[in-house]
Amino acid sequence: MNKRQAVCLALAGAMLLPALSALSGCGAKQADVILRVYSWAEYIDEGGEGSYQNDIEGLDKADARHILDDFEAWYEETYRESIRVDYATFGTNEDMYNEIVLGNEYDLLCPSDYMIMKLAAEDRIVPYDESFFDESDPLNYYVRNVSPYIKGVFENGTVTVTQGERQETHTWSEYAAGYMWGTTGFVYNPEHVDRADLEELGWKTFTSDKYTNKITAKDNVRDTYFAALGLTYQDELLSLDKQGESYNGTLTDIFNRTEADYTEDVRTALLAMKSNIYGFETDTGKQDMVSGKIWLNYAWSGDAVYALDEAEDAEEEEDKLYLEYFVPEAGSNLWFDGWVLTKGVEERGTKKAAQAFVNYMSTPESAKRNSYFIGYTSVIAGEKGEMCDYTDDLYGVEDEADETEENYYDLTWFFGDENGAVGIYADEEQRTRRQLYAQFPPQDVIERCAVMNYFDADTSERINELWSQIKAETLDAWAISVLCVAAVGIVLFVLYVKFGSKIDFFRRKPKKGYELKEQKKA
Amino acid sequence: MNTTLLIFLLVLLAALLIGIALLAYRLVKGRMPRFSRKSLCIPYAVFLVFFVIIPMLVIFFYAFTDREMHFSFGNFVKFFSDPTKLSTIAYSIVIALITTVVCLLIAFPVAYILARSKMKKKYVVLMLFVLPMWINFVLRINAIRELFNWMGLLGETNYFNTVFGMVYDFLPFMILPLYTTIMKIDNSLYEASCDLGANGFVTFTRITLPLSVPGIMSGVTMVFLPSMTNYVVSDMLGNSMVTIIGKFIYEYFGSDWHMGSMVALVLLVVVFVSTWLTGGFQSDENVRGANL
Repeated sequence: MNKRQAVCLALAGAMLLPALSALSGCGAKQADVILRVYSWAEYIDEGGEGSYQNDIEGLDKADARHILDDFEAWYEETYRESIRVDYATFGTNEDMYNEIVLGNEYDLLCPSDYMIMKLAAEDRIVPYDESFFDESDPLNYYVRNVSPYIKGVFENGTVTVTQGERQETHTWSEYAAGYMWGTTGFVYNPEHVDRADLEELGWKTFTSDKYTNKITAKDNVRDTYFAALGLTYQDELLSLDKQGESYNGTLTDIFNRTEADYTEDVRTALLAMKSNIYGFETDTGKQDMVSGKIWLNYAWSGDAVYALDEAEDAEEEEDKLYLEYFVPEAGSNLWFDGWVLTKGVEERGTKKAAQAFVNYMSTPESAKRNSYFIGYTSVIAGEKGEMCDYTDDLYGVEDEADETEENYYDLTWFFGDENGAVGIYADEEQRTRRQLYAQFPPQDVIERCAVMNYFDADTSERINELWSQIKAETLDAWAISVLCVAAVGIVLFVLYVKFGSKIDFFRRKPKKGYELKEQKKA
Repeated sequence: MNTTLLIFLLVLLAALLIGIALLAYRLVKGRMPRFSRKSLCIPYAVFLVFFVIIPMLVIFFYAFTDREMHFSFGNFVKFFSDPTKLSTIAYSIVIALITTVVCLLIAFPVAYILARSKMKKKYVVLMLFVLPMWINFVLRINAIRELFNWMGLLGETNYFNTVFGMVYDFLPFMILPLYTTIMKIDNSLYEASCDLGANGFVTFTRITLPLSVPGIMSGVTMVFLPSMTNYVVSDMLGNSMVTIIGKFIYEYFGSDWHMGSMVALVLLVVVFVSTWLTGGFQSDENVRGANL
């Protein structure tokens, strides 16, 4: 090998090096385990100013840590293995679903109820280990701390899983561990909206001319379809026997009406809604409520709490606004987001870490931190009712003299009755219309809430078609015909202008007595 | 593995292979291979194949398949038999047309005055018009949203708001090409016109207007096309009550990629036809640097 060749080889080696180092992790923290988590944007405690540690525990905002850093430290200490969490976020369930279908390999996802069912039905997620549900293991924070109510919801819900030719029925609890949950309802501005009137109208608030241009709906098909179902079948829903055995079952069926006969009724309701509302919104609703732009906002309970907090925290006294929350009498939506393990998590060897992550997020400490940061209600109750104490600290009465029977707010349905009845003392506003009511609705509200199932492929196509027809304007047939003819006309005209001279048929004949130049030459 | 990272690595790997191939050539033949100027196009050709042609084929594939991935004209038939989709295309074209015309009406005098004036600091004025482009677009639209709210227009005049937002957003794209074309009109033409006794109006219609057509065309292309699809404006300023074709594509890709691809394909055809109408494919030299 001569000198030149050696130089060339050295150069080739130099070119290979950066590529190799790029392949081996791009200079990020090295770890034994890499856990890839895919969740909603702004859905965990990110530390810093306004976090639980900063506001409640009184830590300096620089010391209030990101919960992922705490998890990594905890995991290393507990399992003697270093870990790195790659945390990515999505904006809608559908975005997340597309990523998963395209083959992005995340270990742990946090989709909503219907998306969990869809992922399970399509065999894209795997059940938790049996050891995850072993209550005797002190590290199994999820099963030890989860609310008995949520546990019940997850154990009663079923989904049919298709694996190749086989079909099996499983419960939600096998596939998902809850994270946050809530209801949907109206955030309203009591300066302009009368509560009694709202109770009277229920879902019909959407079409009431008193609130024309002062109310918003959600710019996504499922939530607004749900609201339109409430609007269409309000009378039927109200006529149900609330004490009846099958009350919630019948109500759930009504809120899952997606067959073609029903969608035509819903179409009428949606059109009436559209002509009355201020607009469809994805996340401007909270801000528009706080600034007083609109009076009513159809919202998820967590966003409602956020809007209520934000409005009363205004800097100037005169800007302070005390918004309220309301769930229609006829019934509403019960939703939850939960952690699910993607297919292949075993092969990648990250199942243990993923389950540990879910457990860490389920300690009462983490639940408080996350819940405080984002405003949503955690599914965690706490072994000793820690979350109840925390709720009491935030929303309970301060003066012991106010701890009267009248002010008692029963929360046994959520926290369970293992240690006897559980409840807190709170003033009337908190009990019936403010943050406490939004975070933990009274039992009778919960009993009239229904989970909305996922739409199968055909239903989804039909309802999306309906949604696009609602959202967009449709012209009359004659107008469309005129436009089509005009479009074809323009194209033909341009064709004529551009190519007309090249086609013999269109060529202008020379006047008699004149000859074309070419002919002369010839 | 993360798809983005994978693509990045593939590109890196390709570069590496080219490098190694070159070195191998050098080792065997004892000299570097000779490159003609044409081979400088190779990186662009690779880019073209991976990021333009293949994605286009994928869209084509999805548009003409059904959920079971069988070939089907179903989406095509559904699209053209659905009055809503045709109406949305019509609405988008009308919104884009109005936007373009308004932009042109505002931009032409501005460009003309700036280009023909003897002002010393006219670059500063031009910069002021282009300056908004340097600020994040969502931020600007948000600011307009607040402004409209203050004026009481938000939620009342959704179509007007949408067109206003589009005009505001795309105006610089109309001013710049017009400015460059008008700048390049030879001053002696104006002198000649004056010598021959033409008044201002005749000079404008016989000299300025015909010679700025390339600039108008490239401005129109750059305003018309994006304003058919920019649904962020219609969502923010029209409270999502105005639906244009871009929003349709976005929504369909949440549930049904096949229909989404079909809508995208139809839009592609509309774009193709309108580019062709405005002479965007002309390869002749009279474009005169009007394209940015």
